[in-house]
Amino acid sequence: MELQDQQSIAASRHRVFEALNDPEILRQCIPGCETLTKRSDHEMDATVSMKVGPIKAKFNGSVTLNNLNPPEGYSITGEGSGGGAGFAKGGADVCLIEDGPSTILQYNVKVDVGGKLASLGARLIESVAKKLSGEFFEKFATLVESANQESASAFISEETANAETGIVADRFSRTYICIAAGVIAVALAAIWLAMR
Amino acid sequence: MNEATPSAEVRTQKLQGLGTARKRVEDVRFTQGKGNYVDDMKLPGMLFGEFVRSPYAHARVKSIDTSAALAVPGVKAVLTAEDLKPLNLHWMPTLAGDVQAVLADEKVLFQFQEVAFVVAEDRYIASDAAQLVEVEYEELPVLVDPFKAMDPDAVILREDIKDQEEVGGHGPRRHPNHVFTWDVGDKANVEAAFDAADVTVEEFISYQRVHPCPLETCGCVASMDAINGKLTVWGTFQAPHAVRTVASLISNIPEHKIRIVSPDIGGGFGNKVGVYPGYVCSIVASIVLGVPVKWIESRMENLSSTAFARDYHMTGELAATKDGRITGLRCHVIANQGAFDACADPTQYPAGFFNIVTGSYDIPVAYLSVDGVYTNKAPGGVAYRCSFRVTEASYLIERMIDVLARKLEIDPAELRIRNFIKKEQFPYQSALGWEYDSGDYHTAMDKALQTVDYPALRAEQAANREAFANGETRSLMGVGVAFFTEIVGAGPIKNCDILGLGMFDSCEIRIHPTGSAIARLGTISQGQGHATTFAQILATEIGLPADNITVEEGDTDTAPYGLGTYGSRSTPVAGAATAMAGRKIRAKAQMIAAYLLEVHDDDLEWDVDRFVVKGAPERAKTMAEIAFAAYNSVPPGMEPGLEAVSYYDPPNMTYPYGAYVCVADIDVDTGVTDIRRFYALDDCGTRINPMIIDGQVHGGLTEALGIALGQEIDYDEIGNIKGGSLLDYFLPTAVETPVWETDFTEVPSPHHPIGAKGVGESPNVGGVSAISNAVNDAFAHFGLTHTQMPHDHWRVWKTAERLGLTG
Repeated sequence: MELQDQQSIAASRHRVFEALNDPEILRQCIPGCETLTKRSDHEMDATVSMKVGPIKAKFNGSVTLNNLNPPEGYSITGEGSGGGAGFAKGGADVCLIEDGPSTILQYNVKVDVGGKLASLGARLIESVAKKLSGEFFEKFATLVESANQESASAFISEETANAETGIVADRFSRTYICIAAGVIAVALAAIWLAMR
Repeated sequence: MNEATPSAEVRTQKLQGLGTARKRVEDVRFTQGKGNYVDDMKLPGMLFGEFVRSPYAHARVKSIDTSAALAVPGVKAVLTAEDLKPLNLHWMPTLAGDVQAVLADEKVLFQFQEVAFVVAEDRYIASDAAQLVEVEYEELPVLVDPFKAMDPDAVILREDIKDQEEVGGHGPRRHPNHVFTWDVGDKANVEAAFDAADVTVEEFISYQRVHPCPLETCGCVASMDAINGKLTVWGTFQAPHAVRTVASLISNIPEHKIRIVSPDIGGGFGNKVGVYPGYVCSIVASIVLGVPVKWIESRMENLSSTAFARDYHMTGELAATKDGRITGLRCHVIANQGAFDACADPTQYPAGFFNIVTGSYDIPVAYLSVDGVYTNKAPGGVAYRCSFRVTEASYLIERMIDVLARKLEIDPAELRIRNFIKKEQFPYQSALGWEYDSGDYHTAMDKALQTVDYPALRAEQAANREAFANGETRSLMGVGVAFFTEIVGAGPIKNCDILGLGMFDSCEIRIHPTGSAIARLGTISQGQGHATTFAQILATEIGLPADNITVEEGDTDTAPYGLGTYGSRSTPVAGAATAMAGRKIRAKAQMIAAYLLEVHDDDLEWDVDRFVVKGAPERAKTMAEIAFAAYNSVPPGMEPGLEAVSYYDPPNMTYPYGAYVCVADIDVDTGVTDIRRFYALDDCGTRINPMIIDGQVHGGLTEALGIALGQEIDYDEIGNIKGGSLLDYFLPTAVETPVWETDFTEVPSPHHPIGAKGVGESPNVGGVSAISNAVNDAFAHFGLTHTQMPHDHWRVWKTAERLGLTG
């Protein structure tokens, strides 16, 4: 299936970077996410538990970043396996756009799903995936925006620091955005899987 | 006959024999929930098996880790292909002469293929533990499109047989994904007929993959008795004796040490003909663990892994004169066999009896070729409530006749009548090799058209079309006419066998001293009502009331050998065996009666339930009296007792036929198809029990409705089965089902002992064509020649949209 959408987050791109860089925030935002760990700068692993109707499964997902093309965009590939319940594999193109004080995150996910989950109720899946991705971003925006207010001063000093470290830091941050977006993509895939 | 003897009519009625609407004796237990199905069985110490199945449609199995599953309390064993290899049971033969993996051996070839078998104390533990078996796969490219199977660069599916020259003895393969080519007919003469024709038509017609979906899924209980070395398997088997023979051949257990029992079966429709990995794994597990092992499919497992039907993709061509005389037929079929060729067809017929494709028509020349191919879909290819591939063939010709009718602008019913095989042409030799034994098609069609007042329907349709054009209605009326001829009752040993077993059938009768009897048959009822109808055949033959006759089937230790129940073969073959065994009983009874009455055998005549002395009707011996005498006063030199057995090898198939008319109203804005009227006239020869025939027709038409309007086992491009549950797979209920109007003519089969031809499958064969023809007919005046099934609301709406009819 393909899922294409965008989400505006009321925080600066830098703040969004920071949140996407924070496995703990992501863990809280991805429904059913139990663990989220960084394996390397370009790889992240996630475990997501889902129970839908008769099917209960724990998905182990990993994401790998490739085709990094700063600052226009990048793509990621990932796969998640739910054992006997099924699997998902696919990729996403993610783009971050500055929009005044806010940031627009555009994503275009293409995923193949297989196994028992793929055979159940294919008709419902898109609306469910959209609903769950909405839940993700609602939680994400809440966490990011509240953290934004609490750490306004820290934000300013980081901004200054980033300006000083220049390109190296910028590339570093972008890498994390990519990874985080990849995790979101896999989480969406996992959610979608679990709801099928 | 003295005054106390009731009249022949009264005595005949008391027998409840042929032609009586006798109530089904089975229903006493079924309607009270007292049936005994496989899943009702509980044996001491019984364990439960559950499969680990592949989520991938095509992948290499890199490793299987069973340790986590084995660590679960209550898990007794986890079988993989490696465990079955030493027993040489990791592969098994299919009924089509191919082999099928019991548990995936190095690679998986379809989604939900069996990979490992977990055996545990209960099915919940087994199911949970199955989730813990870790299988590492390496994905391979997936092939689901049968038309791409033989591309030069197509991925090779069956590495196990890639160098094998033929499969099942059906000639050379042209590609590693090619199974067989089967062709019949005179290609050159057909080409000449097409060259000379006034008119030719060609249409691509797909019959989608569907599933028989019996209410009871497949399953078994295997129990190996370690003390006496005897294996007993209770299971959902449509052919228990064939299963016993196959089980013996693949396991090397002597056949006399195997007992196969089919208890009550909740519908089969072809799904329960094959041998499935679940049976083999349960047997192995029981042998290894020394206790009974039960395996029962879930609904999803049933729909996605045990035998499908159809998946035939047919290109049909007709040549005709301009006044509508068909001069030739040509047809090519791509048959999607799935990952293993597990079709249940007689050995000589890899595409079943598809060469009945000339239908009810006198077509002088025909040529047919079928190419079977492998894809990453589930194996099977069974006859879903029809004789082998007969529904596909009948659907093709019945759609093609309509296509030709549009082109010639001749009414479809009229075009059929012009081409019917005439009554006086029987026995009729068809261009593709069958000898049709009997029929009177014109009489049947006339009766059907008169009953539905066909001219009035066409007049109403013309008015509807005008009203639609004027914007007065958004509904289109379609009239579908279908006239099918089936070929059932497989079959004569000279051309019908499965795995070398001739397709005869059998009946053994024992008459008890008090005038009751037990009859055992090689068939097995799955809801057809054999216990009712076979007793009726016997009642008429031997003059004992049907209520005094027990019919028993399904236990290979007691029943005589037979090839089972499918392809409408029970009545044509086992029914004939029953009548023949009954006649042997009667012949012996006549000698006993003659002895008792002190007359010559030839001085007696049969009178309903007794032998009477010719010219002296007061001197008679009833069958009940003779039964008792058989145990104490038989003629000198005669063996006591009254028993008989008959193995019947039919001289020919039987050819039931019927005329069906369907009237449908289609809402072009929603695609909703409402079947306003459905009339089904069947000629099944001698009618044994009209009530059961009606029930069979109702059931078959309901399945036809399911197929025509909604059923499809579809796959996506990566081999996921789409809609492998009843959320998506259309199973019509009373809500969707119209009133079925039934009717009949009665032309007995000339070679069958009682003239019966079989009926259970006719309505599925004719029903699908009639409904599909009605849907296509509704749009015919907009130039539509054919639209593919299933005609669900979405597709019908898309057809309307494509024709520019939607809002």
